Amino acid sequence: MDFSQSDKDLWKQIYHTKDLLHCFNCSTCLSGCPASHGDPPLLVRNLARMVVYGLEEDLLNDDTPWACVSCSRCEEMCPMDVKPFEMILAIRRWQTSNDETRVPTAIVEIYKRGYTQSVGTNTELRASLGLPELQTITKMPEMLKLYQEMLMKTPVVSENDYMFNEE
Amino acid sequence: MELCLFLGCNTPAIRPDVERAIRATMPELGVDLADAEGYVCCPAFGSFPSTDDDSYLASSGWNLSIAEAKGLDIMVQCGSCYSSLRMGRDHLAHDEEKLARVNELIELTGRKLECKTKVRHVSEILYNEVGPEKIAKTIKKNLNGLHGVIQYPCHTLFPSEIVGFEESPREPKALRILTEAMGATVDHYSRELQCCGGAGGFSKSSPAEATEFTKTKLDAIIEETKADFIVVSCITCLMYLDNIQKKLNEAEGTDKYHIPVFDYNQLLALCMGFDPKQVASICTVPRNKVIDRITAG
Ligand code: SF4
Ligand code: SF4
Repeated sequence: MDFSQSDKDLWKQIYHTKDLLHCFNCSTCLSGCPASHGDPPLLVRNLARMVVYGLEEDLLNDDTPWACVSCSRCEEMCPMDVKPFEMILAIRRWQTSNDETRVPTAIVEIYKRGYTQSVGTNTELRASLGLPELQTITKMPEMLKLYQEMLMKTPVVSENDYMFNEE
Repeated sequence: MELCLFLGCNTPAIRPDVERAIRATMPELGVDLADAEGYVCCPAFGSFPSTDDDSYLASSGWNLSIAEAKGLDIMVQCGSCYSSLRMGRDHLAHDEEKLARVNELIELTGRKLECKTKVRHVSEILYNEVGPEKIAKTIKKNLNGLHGVIQYPCHTLFPSEIVGFEESPREPKALRILTEAMGATVDHYSRELQCCGGAGGFSKSSPAEATEFTKTKLDAIIEETKADFIVVSCITCLMYLDNIQKKLNEAEGTDKYHIPVFDYNQLLALCMGFDPKQVASICTVPRNKVIDRITAG
């Protein structure tokens, strides 16, 4: 580990909670974590260390926070109330705000049609199952416009607005 | 009682037979469902919750306020939707500043959020509001003689302080008792509390390792139980555990993995006598054997 580039106050930018400093490396957050089986593995304990030590470069380039499946086992089991899942989200946020290539493509989908999937367009299948037509936001252009207007006022969308502009 | 049905993205788009099962069964048990017109993505954890608080909580607020305007609590089946909405609500209910900011952001809808609306999981409603006795009395057919195993949705267990409803998140029982209420024998297995592995980035960034991870669960079911089916109550668990079995068979040149997967409400709908073609028709692992047993019974 190269400590020469360590930024002691980085944790305040990324995950400003004193609970993080109580992490004592016990590794409870790793047992039961599905993504700890990945290649490379998601090692929550190591990420907590990296944040505390302020290893900015390493953290910016680390893809593993994005492998988390949000099962919140770590959140439940951590004896020091670090809230490791919240920390994972916090690292993703910090990465995204420092590196536009991290902006999840899913949010562009959601901005355009309200959903990650094409909801409500399978009308034939739905009808064959005896289902009503869905009042999706995609079918309510005025509503969708308001939703987009609202999102335009939030940091990730306003700062990366070129990604969201139509065509 | 009446609840606002939050469908999310995957159920109505990919597995609408589950939606049909929910819409068919709940009113029979005294739970009427209202639609959430103009709802948006929950938001999924990999989307706005991974970018900033404003866009995350504004989307939560958008959805919560639709139900609140109707004066109804929200009912969800999808684990991720449930957890995202419930955690979003928790953030807002305990932070006046964040709530004020969200109200500023959703003001253009004419709605206001006070966080009165609660977010509840369908299995919790079935367990606490309907209860196993009523289910046993309402069904016309049963699962007698069949063995099932349960996949508990992680998002309804952890963090128990925020999303939980079980007496003990280490020993959940709602889905077991609800399944037994229909006459099935529920077998336990060593990896019962292991995550299905299907949500988030894991299965995309490490496909081989993720498949191996879920294989250990399926192997435990096969080796340790007499399971005729797997019961889930989360759309991700359903799609993932169903689809992965075909992949495993192809990769290993076997047909070892063929345990049908049902959403709880699908089994309920079948036991209530609804048309299998409408309530349980979309799957990868064939379900005929179980469905035939139920309809014949
Ligand atoms: S469980 Fe908590 S205290 Fe233990 S290593 Fe993980 S984050 Fe640190
Ligand atoms: S929430 Fe994420 S980091 Fe925590 S145990 Fe689950 S997959 Fe691992």
